[in-house]
Amino acid sequence: MTTPKRVPVGERTFCVLLLIFSLVVLYQAFMISGFSSISSPGAFPLGISAVLLIASLRVLYELRGKPTDGDGWLTSFKRFKHTHFPRHIVVFTLLAVAYLVAIQWVSFYVSTFLFLMAAVVYLRRGKVLSALFASSALVLAIYLLFTLAFSVYLP
Amino acid sequence: MTDTLSYLLMAWMDPNLLMLTALGTFAGIYIGAIPGLSVTMAVSILVSFTFSWDVNEALALIVGIFIGGVYGGSRSAILINIPGSPSSVATSFDGYPLAKRGEAGQAIGLSTVMSVIGGLCGTLVLACAAPVLGDLALQFAPRDYFLIAAIGLMLVGSLAAGSLAKGIVAVCLGAIVGMVGMDPVTAQGRFTMGQMELMGGIHYVVVMIGLFGVAEALYQLHNLDTAVVKQNVSKVIPPLAMVLRFLPLSLRTSAIGVLVGALPGVGGDIAALMAYDHAKRSVKNPSRPFGEGAYEGLVAPETANSAAVGSAYVPMLTLGMPGDAVTAVIIGALVVHGLNPGPMLMVENPHIFWFTVGNLALANIFLLIFGLMGIKLFAKVVELPKAVLIPLILVLCTVGSYSLNSSMTEVYWMFGFGVLGYFLKAFGFQMGPIILGVILGPLMDTSYRQAMASVGDNPQELLMELISSPVSLVLSAALLLIVLGNTPLYGWLKRKTARASSSPS
Repeated sequence: MTTPKRVPVGERTFCVLLLIFSLVVLYQAFMISGFSSISSPGAFPLGISAVLLIASLRVLYELRGKPTDGDGWLTSFKRFKHTHFPRHIVVFTLLAVAYLVAIQWVSFYVSTFLFLMAAVVYLRRGKVLSALFASSALVLAIYLLFTLAFSVYLP
Repeated sequence: MTDTLSYLLMAWMDPNLLMLTALGTFAGIYIGAIPGLSVTMAVSILVSFTFSWDVNEALALIVGIFIGGVYGGSRSAILINIPGSPSSVATSFDGYPLAKRGEAGQAIGLSTVMSVIGGLCGTLVLACAAPVLGDLALQFAPRDYFLIAAIGLMLVGSLAAGSLAKGIVAVCLGAIVGMVGMDPVTAQGRFTMGQMELMGGIHYVVVMIGLFGVAEALYQLHNLDTAVVKQNVSKVIPPLAMVLRFLPLSLRTSAIGVLVGALPGVGGDIAALMAYDHAKRSVKNPSRPFGEGAYEGLVAPETANSAAVGSAYVPMLTLGMPGDAVTAVIIGALVVHGLNPGPMLMVENPHIFWFTVGNLALANIFLLIFGLMGIKLFAKVVELPKAVLIPLILVLCTVGSYSLNSSMTEVYWMFGFGVLGYFLKAFGFQMGPIILGVILGPLMDTSYRQAMASVGDNPQELLMELISSPVSLVLSAALLLIVLGNTPLYGWLKRKTARASSSPS
């Protein structure tokens, strides 16, 4: 087992959140049928939630003593954002959310074309013409494949 | 007998199925070879597209993708030192050094032939072992299923890269997701938080598409600008003498692949690493030192990961337990098609089993054909820029999860799981164990309660049965060994015995 020298930024917070989540899950499992019977609907969920709680505790325990950067909250947050959410990932995720919302407003093909266009232009930093070509080709391929060949229900 | 033969040859005789298998294998090679597209991703998305199809057609396509994809990963491992799929990690150890020496064509050719040898071994084992295990499985009691599932989850938790605790967290998370919704026995809501929408449960194909599609795509955005190294590929077909020279090793590593693949939950990635390790220890005079372009280091993982494909079907078709992440998704496909994977599948639908065997063999033949040609074209496809690929994956995931139920709710769930998966991945949690948890969790729940009910809710009696029934005893012992092997106690014992043997008495 390899022990990384430093705890990746945000991992400790994530593990604490995981621990809280396991407690909520345990409570939810208890709410199913309490300790009424050893083969009740809640018995196995209770068991597995307990294992989850123990494992999350263990994950947190494994992080002990490893150096973090000891920065303030804001600096850590910035570093976290930098490591896990560099700008292009945030922009892409936002584009994706906008796309999923837009499907219901404008039709599937229109929103797909716009999304592909926007995402490709952004990720390739310009190159509008090739993006236009790529997205048109992909939308055409999706039409041929899913509407004609697979006859899938599209949004 | 004639029935068996006709099922076996179904895919070979029906031009439609033949074409789908060929198409699947061809597409699989490319999907596997493009870093960022995985077999699991492709199969998860395909399950939702093909559910209106005839089940044989869907399975033919999926088998092709599976066989092609596991092999395809080796190509990018050899050419650009980026394993296209987890099962080809070990291939890059010696494959890339070979390409750097200008022997990429030879390496690809050899890995193709070896994959086919491994794949055929796996298929043969599936054909021989599954019927025997299937008959045995009919005598398994619910407690045995519980034990096998627990063994599978422990194995996948402990063998997944990173820490055991993280593996177990992933498995438990999956199991809990799998149990959301109505309890199958009492119809009571579980983990629904009072929401009616959750009573129907979360469709696990949605979870799969989210974790393997969206999460993977988001993660791939980190290395958007991977440089493509062009290799001069020529002389692909390996000389017969070379194939014969490595045949003994390939049969040994196929055996490793078959054994590891047949364990519930553990698949080709681990088989390949173990086979590489075996080759390193057992081959005395490799063609070159390992890690510097030894052909042995290429043969071992490639045979093992392909052999694991066939044998991963063994627990799936006989017990309803996935042999690895891809077969977990295929279980989803069978359920979507109204089949019930489990011990009764072989009895109720024997055609599915023999059809799969015949189909796997066929896909291996296609693999040999496609693998040894079209290399030039291939080099172009790997250059498909990620900036186009990643948005496309998202669109495919959206279409896939929408088509399951024709509702946007599934799409939002899928995206939610994608973002969650991205976080989990970023902090070293694996996706495979989650999916196995989703499948095996509810199975364990049901078998646990059946086992308890059969002894009248008396835990002591259940313990007695665990000891008195030979099958249960073996399984409990295995589970106990795995659990002990993963606790600090084992390490302590090992150190103690090592010290005892090293100190002169």
